Amino acid sequence: MPKPSTGTSELSHALGPENGALMVRTRKRGAASKAGHNLLIGVTSWQATLDLGEDGGIALTADPASLVVIEGTGGAMTLGDEEKAAIEQTIGEEVLTSGPIEFRSTSIAADGDTLSVEGELELAGRRHPIAFELSTEDDRLRGSATVKQTDWGIEPYTALFGTLKVTDEVEVSINAMLPRRDDHG
Amino acid sequence: MVELDHSFSNGKPADYNWEAILDLDRLIPCVEGGKVIERTSPTEARAEIKVKMGAMSLTFAGTVAVIEQDADAHRAVLQVKSKEVGGQGLANADVTFALSDGGGTIHTAAQISGKAASMGEGVMVNVLDALVDDFTKKLAAV
Repeated sequence: MPKPSTGTSELSHALGPENGALMVRTRKRGAASKAGHNLLIGVTSWQATLDLGEDGGIALTADPASLVVIEGTGGAMTLGDEEKAAIEQTIGEEVLTSGPIEFRSTSIAADGDTLSVEGELELAGRRHPIAFELSTEDDRLRGSATVKQTDWGIEPYTALFGTLKVTDEVEVSINAMLPRRDDHG
Repeated sequence: MVELDHSFSNGKPADYNWEAILDLDRLIPCVEGGKVIERTSPTEARAEIKVKMGAMSLTFAGTVAVIEQDADAHRAVLQVKSKEVGGQGLANADVTFALSDGGGTIHTAAQISGKAASMGEGVMVNVLDALVDDFTKKLAAV
């Protein structure tokens, strides 16, 4: 796993749960979608570096075993702690079954406060290109990427004989505080 | 009461399929999540089915019995009577098989109550339809 930067450069930032949030949103579909929930899942163990210098880039690693269900909405029944724990177990046993979660950028183009990022994401043992935009407005790093599970060989979760499904595309978002430039002296 | 009609084809003789549907040890595992707990007689078994509903799962336990069989017409009726484990729900069904060379038809008349029915009849019909459809595919491969 790449180590986060120590943040010594004024253009370099070390990010993690202490100064940001990494979230995953999943949606449900299917004839029995009423039985399921749209999920907001938090990643509790991750680290990233954002280096906006000339040879900069973004690197992120996350522990696939650290996903916790924060809330489930749109279901006929309320998700209790037991159900949330069952979902987390299912993620570990049936979805993110192997390997680390690792992202490395291959190019970043800055336009004002907008960063257009391209890179490679390793997920469930497979590496695949991904592109997304981030904003650095107001000293925060914000943005989201769409992860199409089947691009990484992940079969979207289904239940109730296929009548309840998680959509193939899930949204991964980041919202982290970037230290102000003058914080670095 | 929910009534559904399905058919299956596996290219096998009617006699072969007739033996398969009357062999509860082979038939019950063809239902996703279904298993035989105890074979109580040649025509009856105690069984259970675990239905995963995403985060939640429901288990129904009860009996499966062959209540009618006409070997000449290759027609049989199986009766399922079950209760939700740890809940108030019921799932009962009469399943009528009519076989011919190459496959057969399945008529399901089901009554479901409790949590499984709380999603509404439309959802329940879709789920049952998918369950029986999956069952026919597994049955065709037996």
